[in-house]
Amino acid sequence: MATPVERPTAVRSAARTTAGPGPDGQRRRAPRLRLARRNQGWLYAAPTALFVTVFFLIPVLLVAQMSLSDWGLFAGNRGFNAPDNYTDAVGQRLFWPAVWFTVKYTIITTIILIGVALGLAMMVQEVALWNSFLRTSFLVPSALGLASASLLFYALYAPEGGPFARLLSGLGIGDGTVSFLGSPNAALWSTVAVIVWRFAGFYMLLLLVGLQGISSDVYEAARVDGANRWQIFVHVTLPLLKPSLALCTILCITGSLLAFDQFYILTRGGPDNSTITIVLLVYNIAFGGRNDLGVAAALSLIVLLALIVINVVQFTALRGRED
Amino acid sequence: MSTMSRPLLATSSRRVLTGALALLFLFPLVWAAVASVAPQPGTAQVDGWGLGNYARLAGYQAGLTQYLINSVLISGMTVIFTLVVSLLGGYAFALFNFPGKNLLFLATLAILMVPYATLLIPLYVLLNSIGLQNSLVGLALVLTMFQLPFATFMMRISFEAVPRELAESAYVDGCGTFTALLRILVPAVKPGLITVGLFAFLAAWNDFIAPLILINDSDKVPLPLAVANIRGQVMGVVDYGATEAGVVILALPCVVLFLILQRHYVRGFMSGALKG
Amino acid sequence: MKRWTVARGLRRAVGAVAAASLLIGLAACGGDADQQPGGEATVAANPEGIDDGTKLTLWTRAPLEAQAKALVQAYNASHKNQVELTITPNDDYVTRVGAAAGSGNLPDLFAADIVYVPNWTEQGLFADITSRIATLPSVAEINQGHLSAGTYQDKKYVLPFVLDLSVIFYNKELYQEAGLDPDKGPTTLAEFKEHALAIQKLNKKGVSGTYFGGNCGGCGVFTWFPMIWASGEQPMNEDGTASNLNGAAAKEVYAMWRELYEAGAVAPASKEETGATWVGDFQQGKIGVMPYPATLLATADKSVEVGVAPIPGLNGGQSTFIGGDGIGISKDSKVSDQAWNFLSWLMSEDAQVEVLAKSNSQVSRNDLAENKYATDPRVKIINQVAAAPDSHTPVARNFQQAFNAAGSPWVTLFRNAIFGDGSSIDADNQAITEVLAQ
Repeated sequence: MATPVERPTAVRSAARTTAGPGPDGQRRRAPRLRLARRNQGWLYAAPTALFVTVFFLIPVLLVAQMSLSDWGLFAGNRGFNAPDNYTDAVGQRLFWPAVWFTVKYTIITTIILIGVALGLAMMVQEVALWNSFLRTSFLVPSALGLASASLLFYALYAPEGGPFARLLSGLGIGDGTVSFLGSPNAALWSTVAVIVWRFAGFYMLLLLVGLQGISSDVYEAARVDGANRWQIFVHVTLPLLKPSLALCTILCITGSLLAFDQFYILTRGGPDNSTITIVLLVYNIAFGGRNDLGVAAALSLIVLLALIVINVVQFTALRGRED
Repeated sequence: MSTMSRPLLATSSRRVLTGALALLFLFPLVWAAVASVAPQPGTAQVDGWGLGNYARLAGYQAGLTQYLINSVLISGMTVIFTLVVSLLGGYAFALFNFPGKNLLFLATLAILMVPYATLLIPLYVLLNSIGLQNSLVGLALVLTMFQLPFATFMMRISFEAVPRELAESAYVDGCGTFTALLRILVPAVKPGLITVGLFAFLAAWNDFIAPLILINDSDKVPLPLAVANIRGQVMGVVDYGATEAGVVILALPCVVLFLILQRHYVRGFMSGALKG
Repeated sequence: MKRWTVARGLRRAVGAVAAASLLIGLAACGGDADQQPGGEATVAANPEGIDDGTKLTLWTRAPLEAQAKALVQAYNASHKNQVELTITPNDDYVTRVGAAAGSGNLPDLFAADIVYVPNWTEQGLFADITSRIATLPSVAEINQGHLSAGTYQDKKYVLPFVLDLSVIFYNKELYQEAGLDPDKGPTTLAEFKEHALAIQKLNKKGVSGTYFGGNCGGCGVFTWFPMIWASGEQPMNEDGTASNLNGAAAKEVYAMWRELYEAGAVAPASKEETGATWVGDFQQGKIGVMPYPATLLATADKSVEVGVAPIPGLNGGQSTFIGGDGIGISKDSKVSDQAWNFLSWLMSEDAQVEVLAKSNSQVSRNDLAENKYATDPRVKIINQVAAAPDSHTPVARNFQQAFNAAGSPWVTLFRNAIFGDGSSIDADNQAITEVLAQ
């Protein structure tokens, strides 16, 4: 456990230099202050410790226990049954379809979202009033919650009265029965559109921070060397943006793997279970007929493990590239 | 600040293009506001412009006011809990040294690693056993916990960014640590507090899956859940008008807050937290 | 962690034992068993429950909104107790009830799709009302299908709330335009097909021959099980643990719908219809003939001239799916005597005739089928088919998972049979059996 050395020394020296006159007074004061400080430190950290223990650590242990027990929604805990819950979870009719869809959705969303965010960031990076307006417009969607954004697009995608449907039929595309959420592919891309709209501004912000960290000298040097715009982008900007891009990628992948709100509201996993994500499956197993909290807990632990593995892989890949 | 000496496109065509893009982003919200008062078949506002959709929303089941009150209570409690806990916690982590400090900080950050869904099912069982099921307070406590990683982190670096002289001068005057905190340090970390409060409010106001699982009484549900329910009410026809009206009411406080506090949000984010 | 829950559990157990012993002590002292809700004495003393101004909560699902609202309004107007009604979209109902039941927060009264009732009854979500039902004067006349769905181990838990039957609705105007007899609906499935094709041939913009919930498991069982029953086949085995939906008659039913679909006689929106809007188009006059819920007769009548015929089988016959909702007192209710007041009123002539029959809805008591409002010949047809020997309420413990749930194996089966190449019916049927047998 790494202890920050700076802080205690500074505190101690402060105590020493500001303590009362006389060597005795100083020496006597510092240890008392340090002890008092330590206890007070715990006091201030106590609420945090309480929350973390009761609402985080205990549930984590509880979900582990539930995943190893026959735990019905109404019946409660009926004793251990490991590893049945795990085999049931993986053998679920919809387990592999949900996994496959979640992965597919994650890849598509991450690529498009980061690409769009990067483009927007490049566009508005300079300090200008117009750019301020642009930045704000791109950021406004991120003020909405994901559920609100999904409800908004649910109305936008209305099959007959909605603006998109009317636009398409006005342009003569489709036979008047265009259905944004009615077929597996349409549902997928329509949902991706919602996420891009909602999060592009946020990731643009993160990338802007990264862009700000690149000093103009580097660009000057590259231009002096005769590099054109595209070469500068690929060989100067992108490499220096790697940490920000990496952060965005990790956030986006994690968020997409855990997608729930938008699918619950827009498609409920349909049509034909083609848009069921893993978390939606967990919810359905827990409350939707099967009512088996044990299997749901097992499935959610599998998700947790997968997430840890994926994040570890990403981190090591990052570190490898940085070297 | 990185700059290109020669713009790629002439300013006017660049403005047109980027302006169109901005409008594309703003369109859905603007449309929702307009459509919620516009005439549409199958809604409560079939002929002419007016507030029929809002009226239906107001009279729906427990009533719009009740849902708004629920949302306000939940969000308010979450903000207060989060601010208090993260203020004290950030203070502790930044300016004190105590055994188990790093372990606790890591445990707090670990909340980010565990997916929402993994925690909501045991939380459901846990709240049942301590008698907080189906309660706004219980929900607020859960939402606070989810805010803790970001909030504690934010407050810790805010405190760490306070100049040493300021902190030391507080103790010199013989202040207890608590008075020092209140009188001198809190004003110094205000931008951090505002950022934390704003994030907590937005997260609590907009949360969907936690109330879905943890709240059962239909007159205790917050607004997003109520709006999601009103869609399928009228037999055979989805009420898009009421949905649009609901989205407008949901989005309005968020957008307003966002625009007002935009400077703090963007600045708090870009300075300190993420340096390259 | 286990220690912690055990400690909590112990504390609760101790508390419970203490409370129980206190109660028993009091009871022994002065015959206070009368005061315990649901105790034998209170039931006997108050066969109609207690009406003392208590607020009661009632949950029901969206498809029965009209009847539920009418019943609640009538009750509230004539009683001191006041019922607060909450209507939940159909798709959310199961999870909503599940989450509430798991945390002990069910409302006082709640209705359940009759096909879920066996499952929820077995799981203990409803309170035992066997002795209360026995005190009802009309107990012998109550719809047996619903009563038995809510019976578990010889105890009764559920009464019929709103009966919903499936019948054929047809648009008389469109029939006339297409040269069909507006007073005669189809009497065999072949005629059904002909009529739908004839309406489609009109080539009217926006009008289609027929409609069905192409992505809706509940709609499917509601409208197609009668076709199979009337053709002399059973879709499931006796105790609902194996599926027979690949039987000869069933396959013919799928083939008929497939032909209609390929001939373009089915409205395009049917394919993705999840059930949220499957009754909308007929009410807007856009559909010629389709199987439909009888509860919507009054509603549909407002905008369309509705003709009614029983659902036929391949070669005639008639059958209906006796569906709808059952209602019971929840395990979490603390005012079961007052809640029973609502239920006993529900079974009375006041409610059945003056509210349900008056609005052309089905009554749940056989002795009231002939009532002063049942003058509409269409209502007579509906009442008739309800008593037909081929009409059933199917009972299976895992009915919801196998049939109604979004993306259930049943939905997979009929979607493959109608929109796919129809070759996997047997395999899909096996999947249904597996879920039923769980």
